[in-house]
Amino acid sequence: MPTVDIDPDELRELTGHDEKSDGELQEDLFGLGLEFEGRTEDGAFELEFAPDRLDRLSVEGVARSMRYQYGDARGVHVPATNSAEWTIRVDESVPDERPYVTGAVIRDIDLDEESLDSLIQLQEKLHATMGRKRAKGAIGIHDLTMLRGSPATEGNPTIEYVGIDPDGDRFVPLDSDAELTPAEVLEEHDTGRTYADLVSEYERYPAIYDDIGLFSFPPVINGRRTEVTTDSRDLFIEMTGTDQWTIDKMLNIVCYALAARGATLEDVVVEYEDGESANADSKGSRTQSGGSGLVRPDLSTRTKTVPHGRIETILGIDLDPDEVIDLAERSGLDATKQEGGSGTDTTTDATADELVYEFTVPPYRVDVLHPLDVIDDLGRAYGFNELEPKYPDVGTVGGRHERSRLEDATRTQLVGLGFEDLLNFHMISEGENNERLDLDPDADVYGAGEPATIKEPYSEDFTMLRTWVMPSLLMVLERNTHRAYPQHLAEIGFTAVVDETETIGVDERRHVGAVLANHDAGYEDAKARLQALARRFDVELETPPTEHPTFISGRTAAIVMDDEVVGVIGEVHPKVLVEHDLEVPVAAFEFDLAALE
Amino acid sequence: MQLPAAQVAVLQAASADDATSVDAIAEATDLPPETVTGAVFELEDEGLVAVAERVDETITLTDEGAEYAAGDLPEIRLYEAALEAGADDDPVSMGRVIGAAELDGNQVDIALSNYARKGYGQIDSGEITADPNADPNADAEANALSALEDDGDGNVDGDSDSELADEFSDEIRDQLERRGLLELAETTTREVTLTDDGVTELMAGLETAETVGQVTPELLTGGEWEDVEFAEYNVEADAEQFEGGRVHILRQTADRVKDVLVGMGFREMEGPHVDADFWINDSLFMPQDHPARTHWDRFALERPTHIDELPAELVERVERAHREGVGEDGEGYHSPWDEDFARALALRGHTTSLSTRYLSGREIGEIEPPARFFSVEKVYRNDTLDPTHLLEFFQIEGWVMAEDLSVRDLMGTFEEFYAQFGIEDIQFKPHYNPYTEPSFELFGTHPTTGELVEIGNSGIFREEMLEPLGVECDVMAWGLALERLLMLMYGFEDIRDIHGTLCDLELLRETEVTY
Repeated sequence: MPTVDIDPDELRELTGHDEKSDGELQEDLFGLGLEFEGRTEDGAFELEFAPDRLDRLSVEGVARSMRYQYGDARGVHVPATNSAEWTIRVDESVPDERPYVTGAVIRDIDLDEESLDSLIQLQEKLHATMGRKRAKGAIGIHDLTMLRGSPATEGNPTIEYVGIDPDGDRFVPLDSDAELTPAEVLEEHDTGRTYADLVSEYERYPAIYDDIGLFSFPPVINGRRTEVTTDSRDLFIEMTGTDQWTIDKMLNIVCYALAARGATLEDVVVEYEDGESANADSKGSRTQSGGSGLVRPDLSTRTKTVPHGRIETILGIDLDPDEVIDLAERSGLDATKQEGGSGTDTTTDATADELVYEFTVPPYRVDVLHPLDVIDDLGRAYGFNELEPKYPDVGTVGGRHERSRLEDATRTQLVGLGFEDLLNFHMISEGENNERLDLDPDADVYGAGEPATIKEPYSEDFTMLRTWVMPSLLMVLERNTHRAYPQHLAEIGFTAVVDETETIGVDERRHVGAVLANHDAGYEDAKARLQALARRFDVELETPPTEHPTFISGRTAAIVMDDEVVGVIGEVHPKVLVEHDLEVPVAAFEFDLAALE
Repeated sequence: MQLPAAQVAVLQAASADDATSVDAIAEATDLPPETVTGAVFELEDEGLVAVAERVDETITLTDEGAEYAAGDLPEIRLYEAALEAGADDDPVSMGRVIGAAELDGNQVDIALSNYARKGYGQIDSGEITADPNADPNADAEANALSALEDDGDGNVDGDSDSELADEFSDEIRDQLERRGLLELAETTTREVTLTDDGVTELMAGLETAETVGQVTPELLTGGEWEDVEFAEYNVEADAEQFEGGRVHILRQTADRVKDVLVGMGFREMEGPHVDADFWINDSLFMPQDHPARTHWDRFALERPTHIDELPAELVERVERAHREGVGEDGEGYHSPWDEDFARALALRGHTTSLSTRYLSGREIGEIEPPARFFSVEKVYRNDTLDPTHLLEFFQIEGWVMAEDLSVRDLMGTFEEFYAQFGIEDIQFKPHYNPYTEPSFELFGTHPTTGELVEIGNSGIFREEMLEPLGVECDVMAWGLALERLLMLMYGFEDIRDIHGTLCDLELLRETEVTY
């Protein structure tokens, strides 16, 4: 879950609630779902929260939510933007893998150490969450006064988003003194190495130019020339990514945070080469009048239509329409009643005469995908813990699955026969599953088979699913040689082998495995218990001699139940015992649980 | 009359005229005193002997008392040294007298504290006088000590030996006890006298009954069991440790959960552990670029890699929900969606894959509301292995399908469920899950420590999940790690001792039974 560091003094200042103690703030934050985890070295609150409200990744966003919670703010607020002066032109050379860009200009920002830190934190947190570690969206913030742009065609000074040859140009990246090519950055610069995987497969690398030259190498690193400091007054923000909607929303969150710091927002025009790209839909509605460009930031609101009845059934309470509107405004939404609205939408069950609301959702919200999400907001504003639990008044008949009933019945018999019931891991290593039991996975013996293997295992101890239960039981014996004997252990456990005839490519089975370890344990002890099991489940048992590498030759038999070979029984071979540091004989059997059906 | 050998011996050793002590009988019969005592009580019950109990006081010299009995009491030695120094005429310096008396250590204090009390003289300002009329030979305490010593072993049977008892009064005895020179103790002595019946039986002749070690078939069928006595066992001794079998405690916990859920009307689900990401994640409206779907959290399979087939029409509906959302105002995720990823096989990260399979109508046919389903089955997460986290653990999964379910129904269901495990006062913390809305983390009060602990995650399935699956009513669901419930119930600290090949057999064998 994401965490965010919030300076409580800044929070008091931005909410206008100087009187709140740290303890009261923590309580109010918990009410918003931001859990206090501790303090940073600087005394800031470390808060953890669920990754839906990404607009709360900075103190500005948290303060905004608290102002709604306190009732100091109501409804949707959209900051004004000045007309665009700058244009970002997207060149046709831009890499296909990362075709989208967005941007905004910020004027008259007064940055001190704290607000600069907060901005950097917001940038990092957005990278980690919505930006999917910069793969989906990456943010570059620059000192606008260091940029020079001349009109590409007409009017605005222009920045260019292009694709260049990996060694096609040089620039001085942040935290460096050397002029490097983008390819050199990936090899020689710390940040470059961290993010190299994101672009190293690209034919052309993404780059952003002004008149002076290359100043940003997204999503890896900015140039040093445009570095933002506490002296910066005007900022240029660019974001690139694989999805226009995502970077536009990330931009909105940053713009709201800076507007809360008193900055003035200014539009930027984004001009794509073909005017209407394949992704035009997700580019949003705000386009340049009389031009083909997009106007950003896109601070347009969205609406969700929700029937009154649906709000009441989800929350399980009766609500007055005015109360619904009040709850909405306290959540930072706007709501208007629409008697018998056109929303005859099957998913919201609205009928022609029913009261429905149109909710307006502010542009910084990235989590509202469906009308239901609005109902969740209303419930939070109402206080879910205010609701009285009730047991749903519907009758159903319960019951166990046949497979688990068989498993339980067999387990009861095994315990009655004196076995300690075990529960082992399904993941195992090839060495434990095969080699230590002298088993060749390709051999035609019980327990062998092609294993289902894990692509990126946790460790070399868990590289595959076990093909039989015996290895796990021997491992338990191995680790308990200091415990009292006899050790009679059994497990009804999951096993799997690759089987192309199955839809999922794997044959998953339950095996009944049992070991008898004691100074005088022998074949007959195992056979006696196996016979008892077979008798109790009324299956016909035969044990014709067989050979199996795990067991002693001449003391091994196939388990045949109702004329089918379903397992193996025998005395475990001394080389397997010695391999497991065992100093007592072990008699064992294992067979398919399904044979008892 | 037939009696066990020990009782016969006791009867023969006892007398009708004189009371005989148990110790004396034991000596005479060569039986252990506890055996004799047992036999005596049996005979008393039969009315063959009378038993008198007497509580005796025993007086024993302490080491210090024995030393003074052999020599002299310190005060007497001081008096004699004082006489020698001429203190009967004029006061003499204390130091000189103590030196001459050869007193050392605490004997000096003992001598000084008893000297004047017993009238041997006065001690004043470092000088000592001696009363010429005092007579150490008439010192009652010294005489009592000598008398006790003369008794030989230092033990005195005060009451039975009247001569000795007369030699000193209770006052002297108490005084010596206070001085730590003798110890008093009580012992119970049982004395046996034959009753008239006892004499009669003895005259009539006694037979010794046979004792046997084991009930045998011959004994039972031949009727001999009526005449035999069974050799006594030490029934208090520990027997050999027996383990027997028992159901694994995590299985017991799972069974308990299953019982509760079946009782609440839930039906059990069943399905594959290896499954397509489509069933594990896509059909749950989990975006394909969600962090939980990266290799950090998920165990993708290297072989086999992909599921053979997915229901094409369902795949299309799920993909549309991801891309465009559901309903007029629905928005999808602005995330990539690739069918190849949906077909990729992995170990299920949650048993919600069973829920999606059942809800799709492809496991047991279309499910009509109302319905309740559950499973308690294994899931796999690429988490860090530590005392509270395993790579594979059991997840309790449950869902309720009905028309118009509310958040209150959800709360009521969970309160009912957790109350069965003694967890009350459930708190619902609004939360976020990609596939439920509203969503809640469940917190409960730990039954023993009283601390607030997370006990589950819950919510109402999103329409973006249900609509493609063809479900037209509400479904609420929750999940919880079974191991977490186990640790709450038993207070274990390291789950690896319980679940897996590192388990400790002793812990499994000795864990207290709960029910």
